[in-house]
Amino acid sequence: MELGYSSNRGGELKAWRHAPWHVLLLATVVAGIGVWNLSSASRNTAPELWRSQVAWLGVGLAVCGAMTVFDYRYLLHLAYPVYGVIVALLLAVLLKGHAAMGARRWLDLGPVHLQPSELMKIGMVLVLARFFHEDTQHKDGYSLPNLWQPALLLLAPVALVMKQPDLGTAMIIAAVAGTMVLFAKVRWKSLAIAAAALVGAAVFAWSSVLKKYQRDRILTFLDPESDVLGKGYHATQSLIAVGSGRSFGKGWGNGTQTQLSFLPEQHTDFIFSVWGEEHGFVGAIILIGLYLLLLVAVIGVAAGAREKFGAFLAVGVAGILFWHVFVNIGMVTGVLPVVGVTLPLMSYGGSSVLTNMVALGLLMNVGMRRHLF
Amino acid sequence: MPLTVGPSMGGRDFRARFLIMAGLVTLAMLVLVTRLYVLQVNRGEEYEGKSTENFIKETRVPAFRGRILDRRGEVLVDNRPSYNVTLTPAFCNDPAKGPLLRDKARANPEKSYCLTEVIPKLATYLSLDSDEVNRIVEHLKKAKGLVRFREFTVKSDVDLDSLDRLQANLMDLPGVYYLPVPHRKYNYGTAAAHVLGYMNEITSDELKSYEEKADREGPGYQLGDYIGRRGVEAAFEDKLRGADGKTFTIVDAKGKPMQSQRRAGPASLPLEDPDELIKMAKQEPRPARPGNNLVLSLDWRLQQKAEEVFTAQAGAVAVVDVHTGFILAMLSKPAYDPNKLTGRISKSELKSIAEDPLEPLIFRAVQQHYHPGSTYKVVTALAGLDSGTIGPGSQVVCNGGYSLGSRRWRCHNEGGHGVADLHHAISWSCDTFFYSTGDRMGIDPIAAMARKLGFGALPKLGVSPEVPGIVPDTDYHNRVTPGGYTKGLALNTAIGQGDNNVSPMQLLMAYAAIANGGTLYKPQLVLRTEDVEGNIDKSFAPVAVRELGVKKAHLDAVIDGLKAVANEPGGTAYWIFRKLPNVTVAGKTGTAQVIALGGGPRLKEEQMDFFQRDHAWFVAFAPADKPEIAIVVLSEHGGHGGTVSGPPALEIIKEYFRLKELPAVIEPPPLPARPGGPPPGATPPQQGLPGTPSERMGVLESDWMRSGLAA
Repeated sequence: MELGYSSNRGGELKAWRHAPWHVLLLATVVAGIGVWNLSSASRNTAPELWRSQVAWLGVGLAVCGAMTVFDYRYLLHLAYPVYGVIVALLLAVLLKGHAAMGARRWLDLGPVHLQPSELMKIGMVLVLARFFHEDTQHKDGYSLPNLWQPALLLLAPVALVMKQPDLGTAMIIAAVAGTMVLFAKVRWKSLAIAAAALVGAAVFAWSSVLKKYQRDRILTFLDPESDVLGKGYHATQSLIAVGSGRSFGKGWGNGTQTQLSFLPEQHTDFIFSVWGEEHGFVGAIILIGLYLLLLVAVIGVAAGAREKFGAFLAVGVAGILFWHVFVNIGMVTGVLPVVGVTLPLMSYGGSSVLTNMVALGLLMNVGMRRHLF
Repeated sequence: MPLTVGPSMGGRDFRARFLIMAGLVTLAMLVLVTRLYVLQVNRGEEYEGKSTENFIKETRVPAFRGRILDRRGEVLVDNRPSYNVTLTPAFCNDPAKGPLLRDKARANPEKSYCLTEVIPKLATYLSLDSDEVNRIVEHLKKAKGLVRFREFTVKSDVDLDSLDRLQANLMDLPGVYYLPVPHRKYNYGTAAAHVLGYMNEITSDELKSYEEKADREGPGYQLGDYIGRRGVEAAFEDKLRGADGKTFTIVDAKGKPMQSQRRAGPASLPLEDPDELIKMAKQEPRPARPGNNLVLSLDWRLQQKAEEVFTAQAGAVAVVDVHTGFILAMLSKPAYDPNKLTGRISKSELKSIAEDPLEPLIFRAVQQHYHPGSTYKVVTALAGLDSGTIGPGSQVVCNGGYSLGSRRWRCHNEGGHGVADLHHAISWSCDTFFYSTGDRMGIDPIAAMARKLGFGALPKLGVSPEVPGIVPDTDYHNRVTPGGYTKGLALNTAIGQGDNNVSPMQLLMAYAAIANGGTLYKPQLVLRTEDVEGNIDKSFAPVAVRELGVKKAHLDAVIDGLKAVANEPGGTAYWIFRKLPNVTVAGKTGTAQVIALGGGPRLKEEQMDFFQRDHAWFVAFAPADKPEIAIVVLSEHGGHGGTVSGPPALEIIKEYFRLKELPAVIEPPPLPARPGGPPPGATPPQQGLPGTPSERMGVLESDWMRSGLAA
């Protein structure tokens, strides 16, 4: 065998024994809750929706399994090619993508619609994991000049995704990258400079990069009730839905805001408002608790990784999950502006399910092989 | 490949960083939990209040049921304005507490505000009886989920006094409202009632079976909906009904619509423009699709003449176009008033209809059978000719009766007719001739000819239950008669007094077949269905059941006799039809003995006299040489056929030819245009002639559409 670290079948079998099954179990529980919640959210508008979500979860599980059959360390060599292909796809989307709702995010591949910006979340994690794995010189922390490579790797796709425009995904990609960079340790002085630069970039972005609707969304976030029927509609209705759930919720299928269809995107980005309305504060705590357990488990896998590459991959996966959960629930509860970010394993949609399942598959892979050389 | 993955650089070496990371994640989740605590626990009540202040309420826009017209466009059945009282379960709650967001009411239904406070008041204002109250209570207990936000009909077509009381007390009745809805109106009362039919409320069993096959287009039937019960109302229910639409209104916690106006001060609710809100919630209103109009083959002028001249207590009249089978006029007496059966009817009225010994609900033209009497002699004659038993020139000597074995069958002319050939045998209705014919050929050829002519089979008019009648033959008597078939039975059958039973419809179509040269048609009542614009939806063509396969010469021989009935001295209807100078009628009288033969409605002692009288038949076609129409008149227990049923037939035939003489007006007038109607599909189309109640309904309807449920 060329690669010494997967030299025998016995090792592979042993790997399955060490798989972090608790991660998969937690994910399955959340996905189950998601399907149940979805069947309430859509029962008046598209009563069959939960079935197709189950189908996507089935496909996702298969993809997740596929992500575990090879040793993740092969990806060390594939990281840059994969990243390159996804950047090319992002370019292709801009040139000849499928436009929906004023944005060009989809690539029409016959029967499937591919959303390369979703894949980019994984691609970003791969290249940064490789970068930090190979860089062994900055044990005491990075200063800004040391980070010119990750910065370049991040800026290209973020710019392309912003151009679609898809502010939510771009922010998630940046946040995940930021998480990994911070995890790799950045010097305090550099952090301060970066923060200042970020503010500068924000001002610049506000004046010349952001589209009007994106600026409007941020404005209405700052004062949602200034425009309750316009841009603040989602924010206001979402707050009413969640708040009116009170402690114990109105019960499955009984959410008036949900059932009377006040929220158009309630089965995708605003799925948490359905959960909050129908199951109340108690239900919300249970769901957030499950996400916390899942995240801690993912971090646990990262901590047990055999080498830096695995650890950074797992940290990236944790980043993807965390930022989705935090931004989505923050948005639904009015802590963060309304950006199009899905709630992992709860929101309806194939792209979202697949991205999360690929991430989980990578994580399982890392966890399985922590004892292999 | 150089993968330097020394254990010194594994995840364990970042232990501190992982701990920090887990801590930060936990902290972030706590931020979210804190935020949710503020939203759901601290401010939960406030948001719950807000959530009750905006509801999107789905309101049904009832479709206009298609109108029923005669062949010339005369509106026979229309819609008039009326009010239904409705209740929305979720809003039926203590106004101080707001609507029922959860299914609390179901947990303890007996104690809910709605059942203890609202329903009793409602029952008083609307004078609901206990059955009606129970139905409402049942529905309330079953309503859950979104169904609680859907209003259902508490009472249809409430009278104006009740409506006044309701309006005055609406504040005490949260969730209760009234809707203007079209109600069925039968413009001519009892006229042609059995043809038109009536409607009443759908039963819960029917509701269930319709729900199972409900299509996507319409919300199907709902509790309180009306459905066609008899006549063309029932037979063409699917065509007449149309599809209901729906609109959405933003309503507050009491079910009152929010007005489209800007509020003063800081906006606490997204309610400045309800229309906008509905649009944002992506609820598409759907206009109602009106039902198709039904164009009947009846000529209402002829119908009214028939109603006028047919004065018997019970019986039936029908007129048919002999070349198509389309019915021109048709009635059954006694008749009911469909306006009464459709909607408000008191229990005592219902009882009196149900217990009337004359059974007004029975459609005598197709639903009842009678002995045909002498009208059946035509069948015997055709059977005799067809089997070669007799020829057109055959003669029989009538000396007042016919002897078979030891028994003697009497002719109605006890003095005897003397020498009778077929021509005179029909003309005089000589029994002896037909006894002889029946004796010689037996019962089976008569039965075979009867079946060819459509007897013994359902005429399939299709608007009510029908009876096939009885065509007795050897098999029949061997099965039914004690002692089996004997020759004497053929004699009875030959003059229409055996076990043979026919419905007026069958007799009419048989004579029409003889008149048109030998084609038996299926009787039909509907020429076509049209949409509200008058475009043809479906046309109905004549349907031939069969060719009789009887020689033209044989038919002519019979027609020759039938002509003599009305046109030669000695003919049984000559004294009546000699008054008709311009048209030659060919026909046959019939007097069906009832006593000892049974038939007709069940006897009641105090009415014995009436119910023992004979049934009087007259069946004819005209003009005899080039027939256009056939007519049957049956007077139950009327006495002698020609005397009682002949004169109305004369008047109706006269009217038919008088109408035919009228220039130009015979062409159907165009359907009345709808005054200032909106484009189809935009709003429920207004129906009706200028100045008719339907037009007022249109105005009422659009007001209601615009303002939602006006307070």
